[in-house]
Amino acid sequence: MTRIKRGYIARKRRTQIRLFTSSFRGAHSRLTRTISQQKIKALVSANRDRDRKKRGFRGLWIHRINAIIGKNKKKQYNRYSNLLYNMYKGQLLLNRKIVAQMGILKGNCLLMIANEIIT
Amino acid sequence: MKMVNAFNMKRAAAGLRRINLDGLRWRVFDAKGQILGRLASQIATVVQGKDKPTYTPNRDDGDMCIVLNAKDVCVTGRKLTDKVYYWHTGQVLCLKHFSLNIDIMVYRYVGHLKERTFKDQMAKDPTEVIRKAVLRMLPRNKLRDDRDRKLRIFPSSEHPFGDRPLEPYVMPPRSVREMRPRERRAMVRAQKAEQQQQNTDGTKKGKKREAPEESA
Repeated sequence: MTRIKRGYIARKRRTQIRLFTSSFRGAHSRLTRTISQQKIKALVSANRDRDRKKRGFRGLWIHRINAIIGKNKKKQYNRYSNLLYNMYKGQLLLNRKIVAQMGILKGNCLLMIANEIIT
Repeated sequence: MKMVNAFNMKRAAAGLRRINLDGLRWRVFDAKGQILGRLASQIATVVQGKDKPTYTPNRDDGDMCIVLNAKDVCVTGRKLTDKVYYWHTGQVLCLKHFSLNIDIMVYRYVGHLKERTFKDQMAKDPTEVIRKAVLRMLPRNKLRDDRDRKLRIFPSSEHPFGDRPLEPYVMPPRSVREMRPRERRAMVRAQKAEQQQQNTDGTKKGKKREAPEESA
């Protein structure tokens, strides 16, 4: 059999990966073997963190709601937990994102609602 | 201490240029009669910016905190004598190297575990007590040093920030727990002894009702 070189198949495949990793730091964008590894790790992180992002934002909203509710009202139960409990009791179907945004932009609105709901 | 005070005033106003945003409020905490840890946790919340609805964990947006009367901060229990601050210094090596003709003794700095009780620390520098307490309550991340820069602590009521718009911070109401039976008996006995010294008439039992059972 005659000798057949594979040509530039491997190089074509690797340049695609190199393009993806072109902005990474140090050896992670220069060395061929580490480039393949880093691309895999990056994609894994991205996939996993797309779900984590949802968790993270929900926690942040809860935090912010707690901050504004707890600070301004002088009622006894001025906590996030009480606000949510009373919202569910009163069937007020606002999600935490909207309530947090209300807290930032229209704080007085949120406090008015909270004053009415929380017993 | 007067020298230290003068130094503190100059140093306290310094470093303000490094703090970027001045949409921040200036909150004043009065530490007189406050319990150390409870005060420090409130300060830590404010310095992190956690009481604002625009709290973002990767951005330092806390208010400037000024703490006054740091020398009047209290601790409960036996902490005045028993609370010890530890830190470790230096290298523990102490080499003696003997060469052929000359005796060369190379000493590294002999450091080891140092300690200082709460009382001594208050005598030496009362602001350090509150600063350590608050710093150890902040999360250990890159923002911790910036948050430290926003804390200004003064041992007495004087501070060089009189011209800023200051807002006093009202501590949340605290429920003091009932005294333990042994403590209460000791207190009652002490009060009775005091009264027997004062009044030579009968001993009144009305003072027992003044136990500190405030719950707000």
